[in-house]
Amino acid sequence: MKQNNKKGWQKVVGIIVLLIGAGLFCLQLGYLYVQSNYQMAYIDHRLFYFINIACMICLLLAILLLLSTTKKFNLISTGITVLFIAAQLIMLSGSNQLVKSVTMLSPDKKHVLAIKEDLQTNEVVYYRPYFGIFARAQERLPASVAGELKVEWLANDIAAVTYQTIGKSNRQFIATYGDRGGRTSYYQVGAQIHGTWQGENVELISDPEGITITTDGETEHFNWENTQQFGTLAIILEKDNEAAWTISLDENFEVTSDMTQYTDENITLYRATMDDNEPVKLQRQSE
Amino acid sequence: MKPLLLGISVLMITILTITSFIVYQKPAFFMTSPFEIDITESTADAEEEVQEELQPVDYNEPISYSLQNNKLHITYDSGEDWSEVPIETGQLFSGDYNGPEQVLIDNSYVLTEDRAAFLHADTADLEQQRVMLTYSTDKGETWEESEIIHPFPGLRFRKIDFLDDQLGYVIISGSRTMSQEYSTAFLTEDGGETWQQTNSPEETRLIADGGFVDESTGFLSFGTISPEEPTLYVTENKGDSWQQAEFDMPEEYERVFLIAETPVKDGDQLIVLLDQGPNGDYAGGLVKGEFISDDNGETWSFSKEVEPDETE
Repeated sequence: MKQNNKKGWQKVVGIIVLLIGAGLFCLQLGYLYVQSNYQMAYIDHRLFYFINIACMICLLLAILLLLSTTKKFNLISTGITVLFIAAQLIMLSGSNQLVKSVTMLSPDKKHVLAIKEDLQTNEVVYYRPYFGIFARAQERLPASVAGELKVEWLANDIAAVTYQTIGKSNRQFIATYGDRGGRTSYYQVGAQIHGTWQGENVELISDPEGITITTDGETEHFNWENTQQFGTLAIILEKDNEAAWTISLDENFEVTSDMTQYTDENITLYRATMDDNEPVKLQRQSE
Repeated sequence: MKPLLLGISVLMITILTITSFIVYQKPAFFMTSPFEIDITESTADAEEEVQEELQPVDYNEPISYSLQNNKLHITYDSGEDWSEVPIETGQLFSGDYNGPEQVLIDNSYVLTEDRAAFLHADTADLEQQRVMLTYSTDKGETWEESEIIHPFPGLRFRKIDFLDDQLGYVIISGSRTMSQEYSTAFLTEDGGETWQQTNSPEETRLIADGGFVDESTGFLSFGTISPEEPTLYVTENKGDSWQQAEFDMPEEYERVFLIAETPVKDGDQLIVLLDQGPNGDYAGGLVKGEFISDDNGETWSFSKEVEPDETE
């Protein structure tokens, strides 16, 4: 019998990578189960192939570290691993032609925006993350997407997704992951921002008639029926059936039941355009 | 150790390879749909169950519905023919509702010769619920779906009605915390295709009832839990502004008639019935007070007591 002359650290590392490999394998099996029973998917479709590759590498390392093998055996097992990885990369490339995953971490790394696009139907679905790497389909974006999705985090818990439809109209979808009211109640963002707001070359007035935005001397008015609220953190202002602006509540915005207005709170104004633009921070002006 | 480790590794690689190829053949594996999920699930469940013969909920009316077999069906001929409504039955009771699910929630639907319309929420996630209307104007042959509000967490009170073939209203409440909640009304002027949210009165008590009597005049009645007097708000401008109606309450009926139902038109006047609330015990607790308004609902004067069987 061949003596196993592996060093102590090799055995320890070998066992660790073997356990990691086994864990990744169980994760994949678990994924198959939750996918079919709970309609959950990986937050990013590419994860499925990357986890397969990581699992394979762990198994190869475990074998090489734990077992005393011949050079020929090592070559064969490394070759099998390379073939397996190549096959996974080919399948990954193929699936990238059918599904596009947009996954973006929030600035504070606490939330993940997950959107998947079916490239054959141009259908885009927004996912809510569960347990870190899983996600469940939450909402279908209202129109088929033509081209890229532009993502901008307006706050740590607000992501604005801007896109163009096949008919070339601008649309926005806002993913929200929190609230400003202590989770006690639902509130209307439009009512909460009642008052006058100022930013760099921008003035925003919210009153019972609607919202008026003046940028560089140009004024636009939006009636309340042309606003759409997302969660309890943002509204989109629409014009001619297109998204025009997003208004979101900053993290220092405090929602109170008596509608108290604090002058040190901010909102963010973000134009719906596929051009490279920055959100504008606005500060409440005292009445 | 060596054969075991190699055996396990080969098994794992084989399984991963096979599943990879299977998954690769099914790109839909990575994309679940927010709507198809529940429909598929309920369809699969229903197929496994023995299908019951459909029976109308109301045998006395030719127009009725059935919630059997986990599906909503409607009939216009006392159960001879049925049309399936494309709503998962769970969505009809979604939100802040703990009542029976064998019959539809009162006022959450309209089922007439000209129109079948059902209020429902479209997702199980209470925080992100959309309130939707699924309706048909051709006796269930074709169905339309319109969004009323999104999101609307914790849907509790729900009421829909149409005043004519175009004009209709929806009143809903949600986000209840103890005895406080958010209530709001919506109007449609195109038969339910689009909905405009009205302003809401500054009232967070639980809503009891509400409704519009014409295109401009509407009412919201509050105070389901421990009311001491009726709280009825009226709008005469399609919900742009609301003011609290005044009741000229005879002394002997103070703290007796407490919760207003939806007023109805009677010629040039408006009539409203006030009930005694959950703890009323005047004359058995079921007698209601009838009040009349000559100024479109702004002020109300007592008319008479109404026995419970007179109101049905």
